[in-house]
Order: sequence, then structure tokens, then C-alpha cells
Amino acid sequence: MRLEPDRLGIAAFRLGYAAIFVAMLLPLFIVIVTSFSASGNLQFPPQGFSLKWYGEFFADIQWLRAFDNSFIVGIGTTVLATFMGITAAFGLEARQGRLGELVTPVVILPLLIPPVILGVTLLVYFSALGLQSSYIGIILAHSLWATPLVFFVMQSVFQRFDWQLRDAGMDLGANPIRVFIHVILPNVKNGIVVSALLAFIISLQEFVMALFLSNFQTQTIPVLAWGSLRQSLTPTVSVVSTFLILISVGGLIVAALAMNLDFVAKRLG
Amino acid sequence: MSVQTPDSVLDRLWEPFEAQSGSRRSLLLMSPLILFEVLIFVVPFAMLIRISFSEQSRNLPYAEGTFTVASYIEVFQSELLQGIITYSFKLGIIATVLAVVLATFYAYATWRADGLLKSALLFSIVLPLLTTLVIKTYAWVPLLAPNGTANNLLLAVGLLSSPVQVVPNTLGVVVGQVYIVFPYAMLAIYSVLSTVEWELVEAARDLGAGRARSFFEVVLPEIMPGVTVATIISFAWSVGAYSAPALLGAGSDRPFALEVQEQMLLNFNWPIATALSTVMLVLMFVSIVLIYVVLGRFGGDISDAA
Repeated sequence: MRLEPDRLGIAAFRLGYAAIFVAMLLPLFIVIVTSFSASGNLQFPPQGFSLKWYGEFFADIQWLRAFDNSFIVGIGTTVLATFMGITAAFGLEARQGRLGELVTPVVILPLLIPPVILGVTLLVYFSALGLQSSYIGIILAHSLWATPLVFFVMQSVFQRFDWQLRDAGMDLGANPIRVFIHVILPNVKNGIVVSALLAFIISLQEFVMALFLSNFQTQTIPVLAWGSLRQSLTPTVSVVSTFLILISVGGLIVAALAMNLDFVAKRLG
Repeated sequence: MSVQTPDSVLDRLWEPFEAQSGSRRSLLLMSPLILFEVLIFVVPFAMLIRISFSEQSRNLPYAEGTFTVASYIEVFQSELLQGIITYSFKLGIIATVLAVVLATFYAYATWRADGLLKSALLFSIVLPLLTTLVIKTYAWVPLLAPNGTANNLLLAVGLLSSPVQVVPNTLGVVVGQVYIVFPYAMLAIYSVLSTVEWELVEAARDLGAGRARSFFEVVLPEIMPGVTVATIISFAWSVGAYSAPALLGAGSDRPFALEVQEQMLLNFNWPIATALSTVMLVLMFVSIVLIYVVLGRFGGDISDAA
């Protein structure tokens, strides 16, 4: 009877990962469902369904402004982080040296500092520069997190690129900028799309640093959501959350189509 | 007037770089990022440390140009602040152990899965990873509250006779924090695990090792670099936890992040906020080095994982 405990083991293994799978997605699912609740409390399953909280959301100027703010900060972060991440990854690929060994840990370090400490640090700094509560301040803060991501995605994209193609282009007389645009860019454009998308999502969803660095005028969606959560739990926050979740799902689908999910997942780790 | 083709513009653009050597060029390419890190990361931290040595001020965030270690003495002497530091580290250790053990298991399951199942398991990790902390914490409230889904379900089935208070409570903080760091831990382990060859495990099994033994003696040593990174990330994030204790915790659940925020934004006491931050950073850095050294003994070379 060697088979029985083995089968039991396999069953336990499947049950184990199924339980984690459910635990990972169930909370997000509940948030989405409660956004359609007919009543004002966050009961699950809801007593009835309605779209009235969506109506409230679209009628609320504060949420709409926060949406604009998130968008401004997100675009700014994406542009800045993508530019710095791509140039640095490209420069590193062209020369593996001492400097490269130094760049990587410095780029990782901000990810290991608790966001509250980063928030405090940047608040102190931006106050001295007169940049507190400005879009630029939040964009710079979010770039601290988004840039490493772009950098690592692009680094592995450049590593998979066949550099003989570049040499061939150079041998044919094209200068490096021409080679970059005509030879390298078409080969890595999917990587650029994915990293830009991830940078945007990171910025859209970050809130602890934004909490320190924004004011009433410049607050992003997560910051406003946090503020209203601490006052009362209403399904309007579920509506906002649903939008944020759907944007991530959409971004993920595009990223998965461009690079495949396994690749994207590994670069995020 | 001659018409310029796009390519001739590119040739023009290249002219200033023509004379530079290859390594100067790549330095030039890296310079935006390096400049950014210096200006937005290194310099601000120098300033943070400087302010932590300033005197407190009654009507300003801090007294400029003063030098004192009073805030540090306060951090080390105040029982309240010591309790806050201890709480942060306890939460960090508990959440890290839970997250890393579960993440190793889940990464293994994902590694063994293929096709649609593999995609589903990866999706379940990446989606929460890209969802804001606010939602990740808030999502547990309707689920775990005394009149929430979990309690109602267990009451209806008869497994509970009265509702259990998970939220707001320390248990809720742990659940929320594990949920927050789990995706990072899982992916750190998964990215290393996916380079391991399954044939190695098969060989061990052919030689008579059981499931558990082949995992602990063959797979685990191979993925130690990933486990090390997962531990460091989970630890750093959980010690610095902010949203889970604030939203899911009871009043007594006070990690340093909440205290720093209060001192900074409500009390306008910047010297104490920055001193507490600096002390926490140093303690965390020492702990991370310790984790790295201890786990490194079991075969963790972090450079493979990054």
C-alpha cells in the first residue's frame, strides 16, 4: 500500500496551492462585487445590486480631480523612469565594468527602504527646495521605484538581443544612433512597452510616498481613497478600487501579450 | 535648400559623440540615472541625517543650524519608542517567516504547473502585486470584520458559536501584511526556481528520495539565493509596514512607521521623526546583513537572484 499516502500528499499539495490562489484573488474580487452594492455598507455578498455608487463617483469632483492627478503623475513618472532606465541599461550593456557593479545596488536600494522613510526624507528635501506638494516632487519620488523596474526589464531585454546585428549595422557604415533606431529599437520595442506600462501602474498605485508629498490639490487616487477610508467605509471606495484593479488587469494583459506573463513575472520579482 | 532625410539628422546628432571613447559614451548613457540617484536619493538622505541632529523647535519643524544628539537619546530612552521599535521587528519577523514559507510552496507549485494553470497561478500573484496597498489592506475589512464574510460563513456552518475579532486586531495586521509581501517573496523565489532543472529532482527520486527529502536536499539548496532575496524584501517591507497596522490593527498596534508619520505631519517634530527613521534604517540594515550572512551559509549567492 505504498500508493495511498502518496495520493494523499498530492491531494494536500493541490489543496494547498488552491487555497493560496483563492486567498490572493478573493479580497480583490470582494472589493469589485461590493462596488455594485445597493446598500451603503460593505457586506458580502451584498443584499442587492445597483450602480448608484458609480453615479456618486462620477458626480464627485474630488475623485475626478484625483484621477487627473494620478494620470499626470503617472505619465510624468513613466516618461522619466523609462528614459533613465533604458539609457542606463543600454549603457551598462555596452560596457560591463566597475561602474555597472556600482549602479545595480544603488538602483535596488530605494526598493528596500520603507516607503514611510522615503516619504519623510523627500518631504524634508523638497521642502528645502520649495517643491513640496508639487507634481514634480511626486513624480521624482515615484521614479525612485519605477526606474529600477524599467532598468531590470530592459537589462534582460538587451541581454537577449543579438548584438551581432548591431555590429553588422556598424560595419555597413551606420553610426550608433542610426543603428539604435533602425536595428536595436525594433527588436526591443516590446520590452519598452512593457516597462513603460509597469512604470505607469507602479506610479498609479503607490500611496505612502504620495501621502507625504501631496496636498489637497495634488493628491492621487490612492491618497484620496486612504483619506476617505479612514473616515468611513462606503462602496465609493470600492468603485475607485475596481477602476484601479481593472487598469492593472488591462495593463497586465497588454504586457502578457507583448512579452508573455512568465517573463514579466520574473522581472518583477 | 537641401531636404534632410531622417537619417541625415541622426548622423548630425551623432557628431558630438564621435570623438568620445566607448566607455565615456556608456558613462554618458548611465549619467541621467546616476545623477538622479545622487540628487533624489543620496543627498536627501544626507539631509535627513543632518536634521536628526538638530534641536527641536517650538514653532518650526526644527531649529536650523543647531547640533545635538538629544533626539537619539530620546529614541533610546523612551519606553514608548522602544516598544514601537520592538513591535515593528516582531511584525517583521512573523510576517516574513509566514510569507517566505508559503511563497516557497506556491513558487514550487507554479514551477511544476504548466499551460493555463501556470498562467492562472502567476496572474494571482502579479495582479495583487500591481494593486495599490490601500486596496490590498482595505479588501480584508469586509472579509474579516466581526460581521464580515468569513465570520458569517463560519457561524452559518456552525464552526463558530460567536464572531471572532480578527479586524481590527493584531491577527488582522499579520494577515494583511503577509498578503502585501507574499507576491514579492513568491516572485523572487520563482525567478530562481524556474532555472532549476526538474531532471535533478527526478534523479533524486529514482535514487529513492521521497517528496520531502528531494525538496529539502535537492531543490532548496538551489533556490537559496531566491529565498534570501525573498526574506530580505519581506522583512524590510514588514518592519516598515504602514497601511496594514493603520487600517487593520487595534490602537495598540503601533509600528514605527505610524509614529514617524505622526511626529512628522501632526507634531511637526522633525528631529525626532528623522532620528527614529535613522535608527530604524541602521537596525534594518544590520538585520539585512545578518539575514544575508546566515542564509548565505546555506548556499545563497544573492547576485544570482537579482
